[in-house]
Amino acid sequence: MILTVTMNPAVDEEYFLSEFHAGSWFRANKVVRSAGGKGVNVSVILAQLGYENAAMGFLAGYNGEYIRDELRKYQITTNFVHVPGETRTNVFVVDQTGNLETGIAEPGPYVSEEALERFLINYKRMLGRADFVFIGGSLPPGVPQDIYRELVKLARDGGNEVFVDAAGVALASAMDAKPTFAKIDRRYVSRATSTPFVSLDSIIELFNQAHAQGVTCCLTSYRSYGEVFSLPGGVYLAEIEREGVVSMLGAGEALLAGFIVGRKENMPDEERIRFAMACAYEDSSHAEHGIRSRKAVEDLMNTVRVERLQ
Amino acid sequence: MRIGDVMDRDLTSVTPERVIGEVIEILARHRLTGIPVVDDDLRVVGFISEKDIVRAALPGYFDYLQDASFIPDFGQFQSRLRQISRHKVSQYMTNDVDLFEEDDSDFTVAMTLVQHGYIRGPVVKDGILVGMANRSTLLERILTETEGS
Repeated sequence: MILTVTMNPAVDEEYFLSEFHAGSWFRANKVVRSAGGKGVNVSVILAQLGYENAAMGFLAGYNGEYIRDELRKYQITTNFVHVPGETRTNVFVVDQTGNLETGIAEPGPYVSEEALERFLINYKRMLGRADFVFIGGSLPPGVPQDIYRELVKLARDGGNEVFVDAAGVALASAMDAKPTFAKIDRRYVSRATSTPFVSLDSIIELFNQAHAQGVTCCLTSYRSYGEVFSLPGGVYLAEIEREGVVSMLGAGEALLAGFIVGRKENMPDEERIRFAMACAYEDSSHAEHGIRSRKAVEDLMNTVRVERLQ
Repeated sequence: MRIGDVMDRDLTSVTPERVIGEVIEILARHRLTGIPVVDDDLRVVGFISEKDIVRAALPGYFDYLQDASFIPDFGQFQSRLRQISRHKVSQYMTNDVDLFEEDDSDFTVAMTLVQHGYIRGPVVKDGILVGMANRSTLLERILTETEGS
């Protein structure tokens, strides 16, 4: 079973406007509300692709109930710790004319030491049923910034493959425990090391550093619609068409879910990359979160451009 | 319809060595009336409900609670509840639990829940907790299900 961990889930509210700029009043053409947070998004896409999975983390208040109900609709196993307060709402505004997205993220509810202890007990218990663990997203107030190190270590010690998608200290601490796969936020790494990782050569150098730390596969976003993958078989640049993109919200997690499925089905490198990118493209081609079907994804695989760099 | 296809796949549970205070908090936060008690492998070893907790806090008086004219002493109840909140779940949980299998029919499960007065019951696969059957959800299903489906 695939286990996803979202320490700080969110209800995503996406407002589609004809135009948007600060300091004015607008009416939305369309509003889409959905359960969000990296792990939650990955869980939903995995379920849509037919993969049984379990989601865990922290939930609070009415938003927490909403997220649990949404996951229940997809028959996703849940094991969240409920805490006082309210699960955060993240607001996104899509300017449909300029094709620009603006986002505002709340910090999330406070997680006490007791709640964290309860989560860790549940996590260890769930690891016994898992063979693949996805850990992703920001951390809510109260949770130590280096918690991902412990979560990755526990999962790896239990024989699981682990995928981490995080930023900042959370990512750095996760890397210490050698996750199998890591989505690297190179903008954070650039800031932290005062080294610009913009060119493909510098990105490959960044990947080499991660491999030296013990990470088997790395990926990072490149320009608006591209992704660089460093797999044991080579380094690849993949890009999707800009045409037809409605909203990129959740597309990153669709890519990761597609990548996990590719791994589960032992797809060759290039096919796995095409499948993952097609998941992201399909997800981004309509306002509603998620993919329409596996066939819709497969139909887009040939539109993905993949170039082997090394 | 198999209960495995319509159950709630929530695994909120507690282990026998946790304390009653934690159970009360979980029941309140999750808006539940009872949760399964499991071991480290998620094997169901018992069930603890708010009824079990009230019974533990008011030993000997529980049956009178069914009578609306019986009003327990608040102070005594609070004091006893605080006391047992530090006790282990294993002391008050129900050990003999009716477990459902994923392949059991939703109708049979609903009838068992109704007959025994249970609000929810654990669904297991090889003894491992995989979800919960909720009486109200099943009754709604039976009400709206088209005949012959």
